[in-house]
Amino acid sequence: MRFLRFLMREFVMHGVVFAVVGTLALTLLYLLSIGAPPSSYPEAGRSLWLMVTGAQDFQAANPGFSAGRIIASGAAITLPLALASLFILAVIAVCGASFATTARYLAARHGQRGVLAVSKLLGGLLGLLAAVPLFVGFWVLANGFGSEAPFPLIALAVVALGGLGWDALSFLMADMERQLNTTYSEVFSTLGAPLGQLFPLPGTMSGYLFSSSLPGFIPYLAGKVPAIIGAVTIAEIVFSFPGLGSTLLDALLASNTDLLVASVFILLCVNAVVAFIVKSILFLVYPRWYEKAV
Amino acid sequence: MKKPFKIVLWALLAILVLPLALAWLPPDSVTTNLPPQYQLSLFASFKQLSVTLLATLLVSSLVAIVLGYVSVLSTPLGRGLASVLKAIESVPSILIALFCYAPVSGYLARHASNVSELASLGVFIFAAALTVLPEAVRGLAIPLGDLYHRKYSLSFRSYGFTKAHILSVLMRTDTMLAAIRHSAAGILLKTLVLDCSFGFVIQLGFGSYGTPAHHSPGALIAANRDALFEGGNPLLFWLPSLLLAATSIAFLLVLNQKKDVRS
Repeated sequence: MRFLRFLMREFVMHGVVFAVVGTLALTLLYLLSIGAPPSSYPEAGRSLWLMVTGAQDFQAANPGFSAGRIIASGAAITLPLALASLFILAVIAVCGASFATTARYLAARHGQRGVLAVSKLLGGLLGLLAAVPLFVGFWVLANGFGSEAPFPLIALAVVALGGLGWDALSFLMADMERQLNTTYSEVFSTLGAPLGQLFPLPGTMSGYLFSSSLPGFIPYLAGKVPAIIGAVTIAEIVFSFPGLGSTLLDALLASNTDLLVASVFILLCVNAVVAFIVKSILFLVYPRWYEKAV
Repeated sequence: MKKPFKIVLWALLAILVLPLALAWLPPDSVTTNLPPQYQLSLFASFKQLSVTLLATLLVSSLVAIVLGYVSVLSTPLGRGLASVLKAIESVPSILIALFCYAPVSGYLARHASNVSELASLGVFIFAAALTVLPEAVRGLAIPLGDLYHRKYSLSFRSYGFTKAHILSVLMRTDTMLAAIRHSAAGILLKTLVLDCSFGFVIQLGFGSYGTPAHHSPGALIAANRDALFEGGNPLLFWLPSLLLAATSIAFLLVLNQKKDVRS
């Protein structure tokens, strides 16, 4: 029953309904603002339907942009880049927060201030990277690699520049440090468990703190998916990848409502898929926390 | 935070956001080796950015304060509002900005510079406010709700004060002022990022033809992106980039102060 409720909420409501209603709302806004004739409204809806069903008519109406191509560009470029960015974001936040928290612990309990200084230096560096505009970093990468830039490097830029990584690290670090000052953490620290400075493995001090922070961190990650998708869209435009970002810009340049609607729909679908994956992890690992989070 | 450190911090912040203030000087009052046309564009873009940031900050902060207050005042309204804002937050910001810009791009290209600039600013503020509001409202409603449910608020209630009156008193507490300051820094940072990313993307897509109405440093960087190639002057690319990074650092520093407030 709980699983069905989860599917109903996350897959149907936040997935299918979100993508369809979101696309329809944006389309309506667009058509109203350009003062489109009434006949354009059902036509835009029909075009979306043709695109979703992969009908040949869509390709005939939009030469060079088949339904399959738009969906494939989302599946082949936008989705993997978004997932890679999400993975890197999680790794940076988890490793960084473990290091920072254990460094603070060592400084407070054992007077080892050197590690804390290193941790603060690394945090400062990440803060400086966060201040670098995302598109500047992308263009520098594009200047070096052209459109052959490796996906992991682009995903790393998505996370490190523009503030996503800094924000995630600050969020998790603040939560883990708050746990550090609780009585049960003090009790745990007397058991002589290893610190787990670089990664919060189970059985380590940082692992213990992280297990308490994880239920709050996963919904946070789910909330960052739109920002990641937005950054990936910019990356696709800068690197001239034949992804959804480029299609969207082509549609804007040509004032092609059908294409605009189609690319927005797929973009929202990719957004919903990534958010669904993250929430599924939360539901599978912490079903009660999932219920609490929603 | 100790007072000398606070003074140094505010001085540093003032230095970092200085480009936004210097942009209001007459461009020819500063002598540089930069090409005159580029210098004019540099000043114009940062001047426009300061207007955009200030206008978005005023509009968004005002709306966020009202919505944050109303959502604590009326729980059902707050829940409804939270759902709407959550739905808006689920759409990437750049998509909202592009979608807001697309319908009016034709209008902007057809009309005179002044009208066009005003319309462009209005559209951008609308788009930026939409994207920053969810976090800003949450950032105010949560601490306000927390304060309202604390013990001393209960004693306020025992004196017979109305909820609206108690909330308006709580809005003036140090905690809420810190929350408003933090929220304002968040609005500024998000608007800066969106404005420049949007300017860059539009310039990349439309070229100089597409951005007559929106002088953003992002558009200026995009217009000079070829300066990184052999034979170009990399300063044309890096100068606005570094100034933007400095401004972002200022906002990040203010955002980071939240941790000090918490601890």
